[in-house]
Amino acid sequence: MIDVAAIKAHAKALLEKGTVRAVIGYRNSTAGLLAEPFVFTGPESVDDLIYGPSCVQNLALYLVNDKKERAHHKSDDARPVAVVAKGCDARAITVLLQEKHFLREAIHVIGVSCEGTGVVDTKKLARKLGGKHAVEIDFDGGEAFAVTTADGVQSLPAAEIMAERCLECRGAHPQLADIAFGEAKTDRALHTPFQAVKHKMKEEQDNRWSFWARQFDRCLRCYACRSVCPMCYCEECVVDSIQFAVLPDTTAEEKANRIKWIERSPNRSESAMYHMVRAIHLAGRCIDCAECERVCPVNIPLRLLNTRLEMEAFETFDYNPGSDMNAPTLTSSFKDTDPNSFIR
Amino acid sequence: MANVQETAKDEPGFEPKIVAFLCKWCSSAGSDLAGVSRLQYPSNAVPITIMCSGSMSPMFVLSAFNKGADGVLVSGCHPGDCHYLKGNFYARRKIYLVQKLLQFIGLENDRFRMSWVSAAEGVKFAGVVDEFVKDVKKLGPQTRLKAKR
Amino acid sequence: MTKTMAMEKMLNKADLAAWMGKLETHQLFAPMLEDEGVWNYAPVVKAADVALDQPNTVRPPKDFVFPQRETLYRFEQVRGEAPVLTETLPDPQPSVVFGVRPCDSRGLVRQDIVFTKEFDDPYFQGRRAKTIFVGQACKVPPSPNCFCNSVGGSPSSEDGLDLLMTELDGKYHVKAVTQRGADLLAKGGALFKEASASDKAAVAKAHESAKAHPQRPIKELGKVAGALKQNFDSKAWDEMAKACIGCGICTFLCPTCHCFDINDEVTCSSPCKGERVRTWDTCQFPDFTMHTSGHNPRETLGSRLRQRVCHKFQYFTENHDMPQCTGCGRCISLCPVGIDIVSVVERLGQP
Repeated sequence: MIDVAAIKAHAKALLEKGTVRAVIGYRNSTAGLLAEPFVFTGPESVDDLIYGPSCVQNLALYLVNDKKERAHHKSDDARPVAVVAKGCDARAITVLLQEKHFLREAIHVIGVSCEGTGVVDTKKLARKLGGKHAVEIDFDGGEAFAVTTADGVQSLPAAEIMAERCLECRGAHPQLADIAFGEAKTDRALHTPFQAVKHKMKEEQDNRWSFWARQFDRCLRCYACRSVCPMCYCEECVVDSIQFAVLPDTTAEEKANRIKWIERSPNRSESAMYHMVRAIHLAGRCIDCAECERVCPVNIPLRLLNTRLEMEAFETFDYNPGSDMNAPTLTSSFKDTDPNSFIR
Repeated sequence: MANVQETAKDEPGFEPKIVAFLCKWCSSAGSDLAGVSRLQYPSNAVPITIMCSGSMSPMFVLSAFNKGADGVLVSGCHPGDCHYLKGNFYARRKIYLVQKLLQFIGLENDRFRMSWVSAAEGVKFAGVVDEFVKDVKKLGPQTRLKAKR
Repeated sequence: MTKTMAMEKMLNKADLAAWMGKLETHQLFAPMLEDEGVWNYAPVVKAADVALDQPNTVRPPKDFVFPQRETLYRFEQVRGEAPVLTETLPDPQPSVVFGVRPCDSRGLVRQDIVFTKEFDDPYFQGRRAKTIFVGQACKVPPSPNCFCNSVGGSPSSEDGLDLLMTELDGKYHVKAVTQRGADLLAKGGALFKEASASDKAAVAKAHESAKAHPQRPIKELGKVAGALKQNFDSKAWDEMAKACIGCGICTFLCPTCHCFDINDEVTCSSPCKGERVRTWDTCQFPDFTMHTSGHNPRETLGSRLRQRVCHKFQYFTENHDMPQCTGCGRCISLCPVGIDIVSVVERLGQP
C-alpha cells in the first residue's frame, strides 16, 4: 500500500530545504468527496497533503497554470516546482516536456503508483451505494477501497467503482519520476485497452451520428473539458479571440474579416466543430486521464471521442503518447509504412 | 431536433458542392492541365490552392463542412514528390486521423477524400473529381455538420 | 401579494397527470433524466412519467427566460442599399415549468431585477410573461451542498413562483402565489379539494421540518458584503483560486448569473446578411474583460473568483439589498476541482 506519510515527509523536506518553490498536490475539499488540487508553499501546510482514490485530477494542468501565473507576476524564482503525479499525470508531464513546454530541470516529479487500483468514479460509487452518501474514501489493500458513509466504513472491490480510464490504464506506475512511491504493479489485467471505443465503432454509422448529435446538442460550451486538459495550453483557443491584436492602425475591415471559425452559439454544428477540433488537436497527445469526461456537467462521453485517435496512434502508428519525452510527436513525424491505401 | 432523418438521398437535380484543397505545386497545376486539355468533368469542385498538402489544417476541413460543403477533397503530390520534401507525408498522417475521426462521429465515409495528383495528371484529376461527385450525389446533401442558418 | 389570492388546495398524487392533461393550452416542462445523474427540464411527453421528487436539475430554469442563445435581430442588405434590420422579439408558446426548486425560483427574482429594474429587456420579459413556474418544496436538501437557509431563503420559499407544491403522503398541497397560478389551479377543477385546517397544519409542519435539516452555514450574512469589501486586496483570493481551472460551470449553471456576450453571426459578409445574437458569457473566461487595447484587467484566476463571489455577496447586495446567491449549491457540487463558495465566504466574508 502507498505510504502517504512518506510522501508528506518528502514534500516537507523539499520545502524545508527550499529546493523547490512549491509542491503541487492534493488536499481534502470542503465541497465533497473528491480531493482539491492545492499548491503547498510552506513546510507546515504540507500537513494537509493527502493521497488516495479521491485524488482524481490531473496535476500536470497545474504545471501549465503555474507557468502562466509566473509569467503574469514576472517571478524570477528559478527553483523547480514539485508535483505529485500518478501514472497518467506523469504521462501528461512527459508530453509537455516533449513539446518543450518547460524544461525537465524546472520540475520535480513525485511519482505515486496506482498499484493495483486507480481512482474512484463518483457515479459508479453512487450507483453502488444506492442513495447513501460517501464522505470519505481510501485505499484498502491492493484491490479495494474503504468507503465511509453515515452507516460506517465498508470495503468495496476497487474494480467495481474505479474510473473507466483506470480499468483500461496501460501505465499505472509513473515512468517519469524523480522519486516514486508505491509498488510498480504492471499486471493489472483489468479491461483491454480501447475496449469502449472499439465497442462504439461496431455500431452502424447512422446510429453513431444520432448518438453524437445528441451529445453535441446537449453541450453547454462551458469549456470545462478544455480548461481541465493539461494539453489545452494554447495561448489562444480557436473558440476565443483574446489574442487578436487590435492596434491603432487595425482597420474596421480587418476586424470584420477576422476569421471566426466557431460561433459562440451552443448548437449542434458549432459544438460539433469545437469537440472535433479538440479531438484532432489531442491526437497523439491525449494520455487518457479522462478528466474532460469527468468534469462535463452533462456527462458527454468525451473520453470516447478523444481516445478514438489515441487508438489509431497506438495501433496504426505504434505511438504511445507520454512514453518518451525525446521522441518526435505523432503529427511531426511519419513513416514510409504509414497507411496509403485510403488515398486515391 | 429530429434532423437525423433528413437524408434526402438522390434528390433530383442535386449538384453537390465540393471544396477541393489543392497543392499549388501539383494538384492545382493538374487541375489547370485538365482545364487546358478541355477534359469534360463536373464543375462541382471549388478549388482552393494551398501551398502544400502538409499545410492543410484539419480546421479547414471542419469549417468547409460547417459552411455547407457536401464533400471535401485534399489533393497533394505523390509520395516522394513533395516540393518541400516531406510535407505530403505529414499530410498523409494528419488527413488519415481526420478521416477516422469524421467517420467515428458518423459523417458518411465518402464525404472526405484525399488523392495524389501530380501536375502532369490532368486526366487523373478529372477522374478523381468525377468519381467523387458521383459518390457524393448518391449520399445527397450534407446535413450533419452543416450550420443551421 | 394580497391574502385573498392565497388559494390552498389538495391534489392526489395520482391526479397530477390528469391536471397536466387539462393544461393543453400550455407547453409543459418538468425535470427528466437526461443521462445518468443528469436531470434537466424537458417537455412533458407522458404526464404519468413526471415524478417531481428527483434531485435538482443541472441546468437552472433561467433557460426559460434567459436562453443561452437569443437572436436580437436579423440584418440583411441588398447590394448598394443600407442594411435592413428585422426585429425578432420572442413570442413563445405559453408554458408551465413544473418542479422548480425554491432556490431556483428565488434566482428568477434576481433575474427579474437585472432585466427589469433599470432597463426593460423585452426579450426577457416576453418570455417571462409567457412562462408559469410551479415550485416544488424540498423535503430534504436535494444536495449535500445546499445552503438556501443561509442566504435568506428556505426550502419552501414562494418568491418568484406562481404555484408552490408540497408533497404530503400521497398528496400534493398546492398553493397559488399569483393570480395566473390561481388560474392554472382552477383549470384542474374538481381534481383539487380545498385544503383543510389539518392539511394546512401538516404543510406548515413539513416546511418546518425541511427547514430544520442541517445545511452549509454562513454565520453572519448581514456582514458578508462589508467584509468582502474589506478583503478586496487579500492575497487569499489567489490562493483559493489556485485550483481553479477557469471553466464556465459555476456561472453558466448558476440560477442567478446573467452576463451575456453579443455577437454577429454572419452568413454572408457582402452584401451582409446574418443575425445579432446574445449568448451567455462568464466572468471566468479570459476574454470576458479583455479590452480592445489588449489589456485584461482580470487576468488572473484569483481576480475572477473574487468577481464571482463579490458579485453574489457584495455588489448585488449593495445595489439591491439582497445577496444574489440563492444557495442552490450547483457551483460547489459541479466544480471540477472543489472550489466552494461557502468556504470562500467563510474565509473572506466574515468580520
